[in-house]
Amino acid sequence: MPTTSPTKATLMAEVADLRARLEEAEETLSALRHGEVDALVIAGEAGPQVFTLQGLDAKTNRFRGEMLAQVSDAVIAVDNDDRIIYLNAAAERLYGFAASAALGRTQAEVYKTRWRHEGDQAAAAMALSVCGEWRGENVHVRHDGRELNVESGITVLREAAGQPTVMLAVIRDVTERKRHEDAVLVSEIRYRRLFEAAHDGILILDPATRKIVDANPFMTEMLGYPQDHLVGKELFEIGLLSDEAASQEMVRKLKRTNQVRYEDLPLESQGGRHQEVEVVANLYDENGQPVIQCNIRDITERKRSEEHVHLLMAEVNHRAKNMLAVVQAVATQTAKYGDPATFSSRLSERIEGLAAGQDLLVKNQWQGVEVADLVDLQLGHFKDLVGTRVLIDGPRAQLTAGAAQGIGMALHELATNAVKYGSLSNLDGRVHISWRVTAGATPVFSMSWLEEGGPLVAEPARTGFGRIIIGRLAGAAVSGTAETLFLEKGLTWTLNAAAENALTGVAR
Amino acid sequence: MNALASPTPLRQADATPAFELRLYVAGQTARSLAAFANLHRICETYLAGQYSIEVIDLTKTPQLAAGDQILAVPTLVRRLPEPIRKIIADLSNEARVLVGLDLQPARG
Repeated sequence: MPTTSPTKATLMAEVADLRARLEEAEETLSALRHGEVDALVIAGEAGPQVFTLQGLDAKTNRFRGEMLAQVSDAVIAVDNDDRIIYLNAAAERLYGFAASAALGRTQAEVYKTRWRHEGDQAAAAMALSVCGEWRGENVHVRHDGRELNVESGITVLREAAGQPTVMLAVIRDVTERKRHEDAVLVSEIRYRRLFEAAHDGILILDPATRKIVDANPFMTEMLGYPQDHLVGKELFEIGLLSDEAASQEMVRKLKRTNQVRYEDLPLESQGGRHQEVEVVANLYDENGQPVIQCNIRDITERKRSEEHVHLLMAEVNHRAKNMLAVVQAVATQTAKYGDPATFSSRLSERIEGLAAGQDLLVKNQWQGVEVADLVDLQLGHFKDLVGTRVLIDGPRAQLTAGAAQGIGMALHELATNAVKYGSLSNLDGRVHISWRVTAGATPVFSMSWLEEGGPLVAEPARTGFGRIIIGRLAGAAVSGTAETLFLEKGLTWTLNAAAENALTGVAR
Repeated sequence: MNALASPTPLRQADATPAFELRLYVAGQTARSLAAFANLHRICETYLAGQYSIEVIDLTKTPQLAAGDQILAVPTLVRRLPEPIRKIIADLSNEARVLVGLDLQPARG
């Protein structure tokens, strides 16, 4: 009948429901009896309330749980499938994951692991498999991409039969510490490089013992001893200070003033090389420990350079006096022999000639002057005639400073004379200037000035200062002889001297 | 929003899973952790790709106990497929869990 079937069905459903509830109630009671329940849920006016069952185990477990929740290190447990089954509050904060969101996820879903060095991962896996634990550092990359430098200790927990069930990781965020360590490392590398590469010797001393504790490579190079030979010695033992008393005095002074400076100390290397050194010692504080840093600079070159400067100053002084004497003589002689009307211009020309020669010498640092350069300089006004009416011919040869001065003045006089009265005073005349060095047991330097094609020449009635310059003075400048002939076809001037008296680089 | 008050279900299937499971626990006790580990292992073995697990911590959100009429925890609730089924305890007895989930007929 249509009305009885639904009723029967409803009854059957109700029976099934009641049976299910009964089974559930029985199961609950059984679970309670067997201690398989953590808490009971009781319906109250404000909604369900949870009452945890405070057995001894529950207390202990809760105590353990609270302890883990309180520790500042992250604690994470993963099962054999690498799924997270526990994480404490510190781990929630460290990885930005709530426990409820992280539980059940694989560890890789919460953070990824990056190993610092090749082989680290394999080594960790090996340690876990063999020893059941691993400690080390690596990088955890959070789900938001932030990288954490972490120090972890992982332990494999095993069930009674010995099978691994859980891996428990205690993880400490060492990002800040790592950053600080990296900064210290960079600093160490940077300043170690300064120490290693410095071109001053550097010694580090212990003020208490006055002994060397470190020496840079340049110091070992300066002294010619290996570093381990220097370490453990006092300064006087490596020849830097005279004796132990001097060493003690230096440390005493350093403690008073923090710095001691020795301008000029002699130092001998292992090979006997003598060096002049400047020592600056400073007393520093290194993280609460006093240390002495000595900077030792080799000033041998500087001293040599200073001596050279002194020598040069003396030489310049000497030459300046000489030059003034020459100028004075030129002025006196020009006045004595010349026409008073042209005195001023003649004197100026001669001084200009001297000055030009001087320039050449200075340019060559008083090391001498090439004959060709001196000829070019003194015949500068006739540059356009060189190769046609002025022929210059001679090998490379360098005159000494004294010879250059005398020959330069002579060339100046000869050129002035040629343009006024000689072969350069008309349109056809020529001058041939040549020099050579003859080989032999005593090499000879010869130079000549030959004019032709100018107006007819007659020997002047009187000897002017110009004649003295090209004759006696030029000859004296090279400790040789100078001869002037007033031939009809033109003036000829020849100079002969032992090459060693006129030229540089000739063996004396 | 506080993630602890709004549990994120652990989904093992992209589409709506055939087995929708809820594990009610009271804090991270050894028993609740064991229950979760056991459940996860069983599901991976018998229901891979067809299940989702939602863990609800009643110490954080006790009001959620009302919906499934939870009396004691840990309790596993099979919400789908219907009818709803419940299993109490740490789920260490795999055979009991399989029967409870209706995955395999009870023997003897």
